[in-house]
Amino acid sequence: MTQSQTLTDARDAGRTFLNEVESKQVLRDAGIDTTQATLATSRDQAVEQARAIGFPVVLKVISPDVVHKSDMGGVKLGLKDEAETAAAYDDIVASINANQPGANIEGVSVQGMARPGTEIIIGMSKDAQFGPVLMFGLGGIMVEILKDVAFRIVPLTRRDARSMIREIKGFPVLNGYRGQEPADIEKLEDTLIKLSEFVQQHDEIKEIDLNPIFAYKDGLTAVDARIILEEQVG
Amino acid sequence: MGIDVAKFDRLFNPKTAAVIGDKQALGYSWLNSMSTFKGPVYSVQIDEREIPNIEAMGYQNFKSLLDVPGDIDFVIVSVPRKFAPMVLQQCIEKGVGGATFFTSGFAETAEEEGIALQNQMQQMARDANFMLVGPNCMGLFIPGRGVRFTTQQYSGEAGPVGFIGQSGTQSMYFSLLGGAHGVKVSKAVSLGNAIVLDVPDYLEYLGQDPETKMIGMYVEGVKDGRRFFDVLKDVCKRKPVVIWKGGQTSDGARAVSSHTASLATEYTVWESLVRQCGALPVHSLEELVDVLKGLLYIKPSTGTRMGIMALTGGQAVAAVDAFAKQDFTIGPLSDSSYEELSSFFSVIGASYRNPLDISSNLPDQTVLVRILDILERDPTIDAITTELTTSLLDRRESMGEGYVDNLINILAEHRERTKKPYFCTVCPVDQEVAAIDMRDRLLARGIPSFPTFHRSANAYRKLVTYNEFLQDR
Repeated sequence: MTQSQTLTDARDAGRTFLNEVESKQVLRDAGIDTTQATLATSRDQAVEQARAIGFPVVLKVISPDVVHKSDMGGVKLGLKDEAETAAAYDDIVASINANQPGANIEGVSVQGMARPGTEIIIGMSKDAQFGPVLMFGLGGIMVEILKDVAFRIVPLTRRDARSMIREIKGFPVLNGYRGQEPADIEKLEDTLIKLSEFVQQHDEIKEIDLNPIFAYKDGLTAVDARIILEEQVG
Repeated sequence: MGIDVAKFDRLFNPKTAAVIGDKQALGYSWLNSMSTFKGPVYSVQIDEREIPNIEAMGYQNFKSLLDVPGDIDFVIVSVPRKFAPMVLQQCIEKGVGGATFFTSGFAETAEEEGIALQNQMQQMARDANFMLVGPNCMGLFIPGRGVRFTTQQYSGEAGPVGFIGQSGTQSMYFSLLGGAHGVKVSKAVSLGNAIVLDVPDYLEYLGQDPETKMIGMYVEGVKDGRRFFDVLKDVCKRKPVVIWKGGQTSDGARAVSSHTASLATEYTVWESLVRQCGALPVHSLEELVDVLKGLLYIKPSTGTRMGIMALTGGQAVAAVDAFAKQDFTIGPLSDSSYEELSSFFSVIGASYRNPLDISSNLPDQTVLVRILDILERDPTIDAITTELTTSLLDRRESMGEGYVDNLINILAEHRERTKKPYFCTVCPVDQEVAAIDMRDRLLARGIPSFPTFHRSANAYRKLVTYNEFLQDR
């Protein structure tokens, strides 16, 4: 299915968001690197997909009602074998039912464990006056507590992408602080520009979070992604 | 991108003018303000009680705009709101160049009648492609043509600074404060409800206006954000734009689903947009004037290695702190500079490392000239700044008359010779009046000064930021 088709189908179904599996597929079609996730709707399916991907794997709940997946016990990392995967599936369903009774659980996403890298957040939202804007920041506490982020109005030029990355206070971290692996800054710029182009082509998208992205010295991958669609009028 | 430059040119360079509805209750403020206009000004007033006073002021009065002889380029309207559409109709019929409506009581009241009248006028003006400024505004200030919106404003001598203001008060204060600081206006507009001409239209016009070399703005919000973005991006490539945004509080609780949207508050996005376009964001009237003054009087530069000259050690430290905070480098001078300085500089009670604390060298003013020349030649120094605190200079003056006059001459001669950015900090301490006098005397010789080191450093930093933007494009 093409990115446009996935978006159109979701809109036709009256939905206002894409789940993680769909969001990643759409972004990959747009040339943005993400981990590949598949949807499993049963314990057996989850185990089967995990085996096909190769251990260790990650399971995450797919539910339109669960916003903070980790907080609700909807994420299980580093599952080493079939038994752990099966148990994790049951755990996730039980946790969501306990923490958020009535939440509609469509299944779980199954994906390989990405190698840890520098955590980045990239996103899009729409400003009432200026339309779509992109955000860039370091993930984790840098964004949560310090709000160390930079914004640019779409469309972004190469210069905009370059300057917004360098604008954040945490920028030295990307150059490899104290022996940490540096981040592939050119690839981060490419990702911002591709996302800007993608956003320009899709008026129907309201918000995007790529959070976190793991950045490496050569390349990056978005480990989680969320696309919110505009409400349809009429 | 969309404006009709010829129509703007006619409105902003008026040769003839009319004032409609001025009255005693307003102190005839519009006719008084327009007394400096370079060209005929006619009055239109139907109230028999007002006409004798208006005629006594020397204005020819007519009962209708349509009776006024010849072409009229510029009209100021100050009539009760219910007559505003009729007057607008007459302006359109007469083919005037444009009109500013001081008349208020429209959509800003949130009353049904006001909104209806505003919609009616908007439709009329749009249909006729008429240049309507306002309503509910102070309108135009064009000192070169003698167009003013208050008698406190200067006239005759225009400057190179364009201004767009979304508040009548801030527009007036900008013109007054700027005037006192040598930041004089080419063309300014206080745009009010902006029902026809809006921020991007004026910006596009001033952006291409050859008399306008830089633009200051006071903005609270824009209606067509995308067009504003496109116009601002374009104008900043040609001339600096300094923007003070009023109303910087957050937009409260919005319904957002993503992390990104929760962080993208109205103000953070606004400031990002301003920077992305290459414009310079400021946060107060004083800063707006400071930054424009810097752009106007300090040589364009991207140099960040400062040579700092202070009258005392304590001030040298304060200056370094302020400039360092703005990411300037205050490093050692070159070896040859030190060699030369060591041949004449008295280090007892003074120091020449950089910052240069010249205290005990003050009595011999030839030493000042030599220091300035050394800083000028030194390749490790990009820009030079001097501290001049009147409370200290007073003591010098008391030791020998003419000390300060001579000092100003030395600095002015340096300014004429130097290829490097040069500016001063004049700290008032307890002598605010004397500091203003010093500021004016320096400015008369083309030297800009600021009352604190932080303001000096900030104004120069903004100048560097704009020149880096130009270089980086």
